[in-house]
Amino acid sequence: MQTINSTALVQQYFRPKLPTIWCPGCAHGIVTKALVHAVRELDLDPKKTVLVSGIGCSSRATGYLDFGTVHTTHGRALAFATGIKLARPELTVIVISGDGDASAIGGNHLIHASRRNIDLTLVVYQNGTYGMTGGQYAPTTRTGQITTTSVGGHVERPFDLCTLAQAAGATYVARSTAYHFDMLSRLIVKGVRHKGFSFVEAISSCPTYAGRMNGMETGAEALTYMREHAVPYDGTGSVAQGKFPIGILHESQAPEWLEVYQQQVIGR
Amino acid sequence: MSTSAKDDGRDVRQEQVLDLPEIAINRKWCKGCGICIAVCPQDVYTADRDGKPVIAQPDLCIWCERCDMYCPDFAINLAGKKLW
Repeated sequence: MQTINSTALVQQYFRPKLPTIWCPGCAHGIVTKALVHAVRELDLDPKKTVLVSGIGCSSRATGYLDFGTVHTTHGRALAFATGIKLARPELTVIVISGDGDASAIGGNHLIHASRRNIDLTLVVYQNGTYGMTGGQYAPTTRTGQITTTSVGGHVERPFDLCTLAQAAGATYVARSTAYHFDMLSRLIVKGVRHKGFSFVEAISSCPTYAGRMNGMETGAEALTYMREHAVPYDGTGSVAQGKFPIGILHESQAPEWLEVYQQQVIGR
Repeated sequence: MSTSAKDDGRDVRQEQVLDLPEIAINRKWCKGCGICIAVCPQDVYTADRDGKPVIAQPDLCIWCERCDMYCPDFAINLAGKKLW
């Protein structure tokens, strides 16, 4: 990996729209930087790369990035991306989604895109809350976490999105955090190169809502949390209570949708 | 690097002493979140009244790029020719 050089990244891949709307200290900017850093590493042509996003804080990222971008309806980013990939298979399609967007409103699209194993890369900005609408709890909110709709502490168990994607049939499943920037960037590079559905969960933060109510008021404290709770994946995935494994959690080979379609339907 | 120190006949050790980046802070984009100040291992930055970073001790910089990496607002850039 080369040096970061943010100014060069911004000049090469961003529309003249900065600064972002994200709150001070929000790690979404760091995850977006890791994504663009990965795009530079892959040397993708912005004219042949499509970024699709849904609704939410994270999905605002496509507005700043100078690729072919689609800002779609809530939860349906994967559905739009599937259509784009089917119509123009030569394009590289990367989907940006938040955790609520991908696992609650678009949960069905997530499992079925995983099941189809279509050649997309999904990057989920996971901050465990609905930040844009005021900090309501999401399917990924941890048990006991205080949010604006669970003031006594959240009672439900959270979704493990990586396990969900793997169970649904995704052939590349990885997780990293905004703190583990280099790893996140490398995982996205591998995900884009992988033939099939690639799921990358990027743990992000929400200092304004989830953070402020749970003792992580600043962006730096959220980064420290990620550093202390992420454990490198050891092959088993068994980690201590409250911690989570990072790295490539699952990688396998399965028939890719477009190839099978080419063979069985178009090529017949 | 296109030209190595060996090619132009200069002493590498002398250059390493001067191996400091040009730190540029875009104060229009900076939101004063304080991540750069917190992650810097060398205390290069101090906060001004708005919480935005001021380059207080540029000579201590070890060019780890943590501020450039973790700035969520793309407001810090380290430029220069890195020798290592």
